[in-house]
This record gives sequence, structure tokens and C-alpha cells, in this order.
Amino acid sequence: MIARRMRIGLKSRKTALAVTVVLGFFILVTVLAPWIAPHDPIQVNLAHKLQPPSWEHPLGTDHLGRDTLSRLLYGARYSLGFASLIFLSALGIGLLIGTVAGYKGGIVDSVLMRFCEGVMAFPSLVLVLGLVGIFGPGLAQVVLAMVMVQWVYYARMFRGMVLDLKERNFITAAKISGSSTWKIIRRHIIPNVLPPIVVMGTLEIGWAIMDIAAMSFLGLGIQPPMPEWGAMIHEGKGYIRSHPELMLYPGLMILLVVVTFNILGEALADRYGVNGAFERGRIHDGKTAQRIAGK
Amino acid sequence: MSLLEVIGVTHTYAGSRLFRRAGRQTPVLTGVSLSIEQGMGLGLLGASGAGKSTLGRVILGLERPRQGQVLFQGQDLYRADASTRRQLRRDLQAVFQDYTSSVNPRMTAGQIVGEPLENYERLSARELHRTVGELLERVGLKAEDARKYPHQFSGGQLQRISIARAIALKPKLIVLDEAVSSLDMVNQTNILALLGDLKSIFGLSYLFITHDVKAAYSISDALAVMEKGALIERCGDKDQLFSSPHPVVNKLISSVLSEHPRYRSLASSSNPS
Repeated sequence: MIARRMRIGLKSRKTALAVTVVLGFFILVTVLAPWIAPHDPIQVNLAHKLQPPSWEHPLGTDHLGRDTLSRLLYGARYSLGFASLIFLSALGIGLLIGTVAGYKGGIVDSVLMRFCEGVMAFPSLVLVLGLVGIFGPGLAQVVLAMVMVQWVYYARMFRGMVLDLKERNFITAAKISGSSTWKIIRRHIIPNVLPPIVVMGTLEIGWAIMDIAAMSFLGLGIQPPMPEWGAMIHEGKGYIRSHPELMLYPGLMILLVVVTFNILGEALADRYGVNGAFERGRIHDGKTAQRIAGK
Repeated sequence: MSLLEVIGVTHTYAGSRLFRRAGRQTPVLTGVSLSIEQGMGLGLLGASGAGKSTLGRVILGLERPRQGQVLFQGQDLYRADASTRRQLRRDLQAVFQDYTSSVNPRMTAGQIVGEPLENYERLSARELHRTVGELLERVGLKAEDARKYPHQFSGGQLQRISIARAIALKPKLIVLDEAVSSLDMVNQTNILALLGDLKSIFGLSYLFITHDVKAAYSISDALAVMEKGALIERCGDKDQLFSSPHPVVNKLISSVLSEHPRYRSLASSSNPS
């Protein structure tokens, strides 16, 4: 039983290492895009439109003669950057609301949770369309709409975990020790709820990338001529018969990044045990592994 | 003046406001009164659900009772202003049954034991480190253990850390809520001995909540028994318990198994006194 557990641990650690390398590569590309891209991603050159791969354009050019590779590299900035922005903002708001609701309880909890349920009942696409209708299309509107919808899920997760933690004796002991509410939240609650949520959040980034791409594909998100993977698929769809690679390349990028994030999320969940959220690091202690296995 | 005086405490746990029906609440505590003198160990016995732990929480200032008063050092814990309350709390500490959940898994033993000191005393990092080391040694651990995390300790050691945290501020009263019940026999004996030592060194008072008659007898000066939220027996001298006429008390005493199987049937029928 223990041996099996260790093997799973080792395997997931290898997987985690592999996907971290892939992800590291993507992040590097995102940061270094202006230096490593061979061409300006928005420079139109109709004389060179729809060219096949060549030394000058390794992945060819699109219908306006723009270098596909450069656009893909810059596109990573938008996809990864804004997905991370959505994740961090939603996480921050969720952490604040969820912790307050869970810790305070009573009427505060009821009011906040009813509000969350109201937000959850609201379809995100309608919210995006509404914001786009008011402010016009743009990535900021998409990001705002997605944060407005997603924080609720984090808030609910945080609340649930805080409710569980609150009953633990070390919180009572901290109260008896004279620690203020703020100190208890800062020292005892947040360090215990954050890691498992970050693990789950890794899965969420994959979804956020897909959502941004989907919105851009629908023409609601990023606007031409900026390169974003979803927007690139959108622009390439007119040439699907003659030049399917215009849709294929950004599609593959989305696939690769999302799969990488998902595998990383799974591996981390395995490693840190999202179910045994508070038992971080304990798996490696033989005795505890035995205790867990014996349960 | 007694160190702690509990006067006519009655308490009920409120259910959901929406579904609460009048007359359906079962009281957890009904008119409980008791007192603890300075330096005295009071063993509070009773079966599960008798309201012992709730009384402990009420005394610790964690659960405001519906009726009655809790006077600690002559002041009402629930009516004192914030700063008085804070000062009173300082002298009132606790150790719980579940040692794993009593310590934050993400803090080192040093941080755990140092937390009450941080809250009440202005110590430099160096003094704090030294004091924490002394406290750990006092409870039978090593000063170097301050750097370790809870998962690196055994159950008995974790309970020692909890005790170190409870005595850090040199309190006057410690509520021990089933503090040794989840430990094995050897650890129980060791921890009870440690608690006995600390009591005589610091002049501590204990409220020792347990269902274990033997453990309570070994550490306490006086005993009290609870049943269904009420205090049914109070003995100023712990040996008086054995001559109590109350059937619940007799049942409790007879539940103690004798060391030797031959005497077990005798223990349940006759009074050992």
C-alpha cells in the first residue's frame, strides 16, 4: 500500500517536472517575445501573403503577409498573461470574501453567500456580451467579466475550507493565546487554505486560456491586428480550405498550453493531496503514510 | 476569593433560526455552579455528552452562557471590557484532547509555543527564542525541537508542545479537556506526571475534564461529576467520591477495571474505600 503510494508520488513528480519544463519554456517565450520573434507581428506585407514556410518565415505568413511564428510568440503574451491576470484577480477577491464569510459566519456569511449564488446563476457569456455592448469589444471587458464570474467559485471553496479549519483546536488555542482575529486569519487560516486552492487554480488557468481564445474567436475579446491565439484562429477560418495551417498552429498552441496546465494541476493535486489539503508534506513521512493508508 | 467561580450557568446551543421550534431545545448545561481555588486541581468527570466540554468552553470565555456568571479572579469574564478581558484571558489557558488538530501544521514548534508570548510580552527575537527553548525543555523536549514541524513529532510530543504553549504565559488556571485521553498508557502516565510537576512548580490550578476516573483521581485534589448537563456530585476531597450514594457516580467508579483480572468483578460490586 505504501509502496504503491510512493510509486504514484514518484511518477507524478516526474510528470510535474516534465510539464514544468514545458511551461517554463512557454513563460520564457512570453517574456522574450520581442527579442526572439523574427518579425513585427502586426506588420502587414501584402506582397508576401499566404507564403509557405521558408527560412525567412519558418511557419509561413497569413492572409495579410504577417509572420505566423512571430504572431504565435506574441500571442502567448496575451493568452498566458491575461489568463494569469484573471486567475490571480479571481483568487484574490475569492480569498477575501470566502475567508470573511467563513470565519465571521452568521449574518455576514449568509449575505455574502446569497450574493455569490446570485452571481453563479448569471451566465458568464451574457455578462461578457453585456459589457461588450456597453463598452465595446476588448480584452479588458472579457477579463473583467470573467473575473466577476469566477471569483465566486474561489470564494465558495475558501469558505468551505475556512469552515472546516475554524473548528480545529489550533484556532481555538490561538484565540485563547490572545491572538487577534486578523492575526488568526493571517497566520493560521490563509497559509492552510492557499496551497490547495493554488493547485486547483492551475487547472483553472487552462480554462481561462480557452475562454479568452473563445471570446476572441467570437470577436468579443482582443481586436485585430493584435495577435492572440483565438483571434488568429478566427482570422484564419476564411482560408481553412487553402491554408488550414493558419488555424492549425494557434489551435495546437492552445491545446499544448491547456494540456500542460491540466497535467501540472493534476500532478500537483496528487503531490499535495487536495483532498488531504491540510496534510501537506505528510505523505513523505513514512509513519503518516501508514496512518493514511490504514484509514 | 476563589480563583474561578461558576455560578448557575445554563447553556443551550442554538439551532437554525429558521427551523427552531420553541421548547425543542435540550439544554447542555443546567444551573452548574462550581469553584476552583488557587493551586487546586479539580477533576470533572462524566460520560460523553454530559456537558463537560461545554462547561470548559464557557469557562475559557469561548461560549457565552445563556444564564449565569463566570467569575475569574473575581471579575465576570463575559461582562468585562475588552482590555480587562484580555488580561483575564492571559491567566486562563487550555490543552485539548486532539493533539494533531491542536497545532497548526504549517508552523514550527517554536512558532507554536511562541505565539502567546508574542501576543502578551514584548520580547526581542533572541529572548523569545531562549524562552521558547526553556519552555520546550520544561515539558521534556529539546530546545532544538523548536525548528521542527508538527508532523515530525509523535502524539505524546505534540501534547507536550500544547502544554508548553499553555504554560508559556504562566497562567493561573489551565483547562485540560481530555488532555490525555487519546494518548497511550505510557504517554498518559508521563504527561500526568508532567502536569503534576508543573502544578507544584508554578502553583497552577487545573480543571481536568475527563471520563477517565483513574486519570482524574491521580491528578486532582477534588472531584466533580456531571450528568446530563448538571453537576450531580462535588467532593472537596477526592476520596469522598467512593462513598457517594449517587448511582451514576457508582456506575462511573465501577467502570474502572482493576489491574488484575481476579479483582475486576470485586471492583464493580464493593467500595474500594
